[in-house]
Amino acid sequence: MADDQTPRPAGEPDDYPSGAGQGWTALSYLVGGMLVWGFIGWLVDQWLDTGGVATGIGVVLGMAGGVILVIRRLGTPT
Amino acid sequence: MFGQANVLAAGQAAFPPSVDDFYLPAILPWGAENAPWFTKFTLMVWIAVGVLIIFFLATYRKPQLVPTKKQWLAESIYGFVRNNISVDMIGHQGVRFAPYFTTLFCFVLLTNSFAIIPFFQISPNSHIAFPAILAVISYVLFNYIGIRHHGFGKYFKHALIPPAPWYILPLLIPIEAFSTFIIRPFSLAVRLFANMFAGHMLLLVFTLGGFAMLNANAWLAPVSVVSWVMTVALTLLEALVIVLQAYVFTVLSASYIQGALAEEH
Repeated sequence: MADDQTPRPAGEPDDYPSGAGQGWTALSYLVGGMLVWGFIGWLVDQWLDTGGVATGIGVVLGMAGGVILVIRRLGTPT
Repeated sequence: MFGQANVLAAGQAAFPPSVDDFYLPAILPWGAENAPWFTKFTLMVWIAVGVLIIFFLATYRKPQLVPTKKQWLAESIYGFVRNNISVDMIGHQGVRFAPYFTTLFCFVLLTNSFAIIPFFQISPNSHIAFPAILAVISYVLFNYIGIRHHGFGKYFKHALIPPAPWYILPLLIPIEAFSTFIIRPFSLAVRLFANMFAGHMLLLVFTLGGFAMLNANAWLAPVSVVSWVMTVALTLLEALVIVLQAYVFTVLSASYIQGALAEEH
C-alpha cells in the first residue's frame, strides 16, 4: 500500500495550502500580526513611557501586516 | 464505580465541577492524591498504544486478496488517511507520510474516544501535556522535512520572507516568524486540548447538575431528567467532536508538512 509511488502528471497545484490549512493560516496571520506588533509597541511603551499610544499603533500596524500577508501568501495562487 | 454512584446519590459530589475533577487519584499507589507516576491517563495511553499495535498486526498478519472484515476495516482507515489526507494535502509525495498520519489519526481518535467510552469516560487529551507532545512531534517533523528538502538557509528564507516589496518586509517578517514557529504548534495543541477539556466539562456539568437538582429539591426531579437527557445528546455531539478533532489535527499536520515542502512561487 505504501509503495504506490506512481508519479502524478506534473503541473498540479501542489504548492499552495488548501482547505482547512488555508483557513488556519489566514487566522494565524491576522491574530499573530496583532500580537507581535502589539507586543513590540508595548515594549516601546515601557521604554518611552508613552502610556499605550505605541501599543495602539503597533496593533494597527500588525493588523495591516496580517492583511498584507493573507493577500500575498493566500490571495493569488499563481 | 458503585462508590461513585453512591457519592452522587448522597449529594456529596461537588457542584459545579472544577479543574480538580481532571486530576484523578493515582492507580499506583492506589488512591494517592497528586501521585503522577501511574494514573488512569497513563493506563489509557498504554491501552491505546497496545490496542492499535495489536489491531494492525492482527489485521495485517495474513493479507488476503479478498479482504476479511478486519482487514477491510484496517485498509479503509489507512486508505482514507492516505488518499483523503496525505495525497489530498501534499500531493503524490504525501504517500511517504501516510504511515505517520495514520498512526497519528488513529492514536488521537482512540484517545479522544475514551471521553465517551464507559469506564474510561475521560480523554487523556483533556490534559494539555498529551496534545502538546503530539504537536511537538508534528512541529519537529515539518521543520526537519523542510530543512532536509530545501537546506537550512533556503527553508528559513522561504518560510520567513513572503513575496512582498522590500519596504514592508520588516513589518511582515516578525509576523511570519511568530505565526509559523510559535502559533502553529501552540494552536495545534490547544485546539485539541480545549475541545476535549470542554467536552468533558459539559458532560460533568449536565450529569452532576442532574444530581445537584435532585438533591436540592424533589420537585426538581423532572428537570434533572431533562439534564440527563441533555447528557445523552451531548455525548452524541461529543462523538462528532472526537472524530472531527482527530481529523483536523491530522489535516493540519499534513498542511504544515505541505508548506515545508512547497517550492517557491
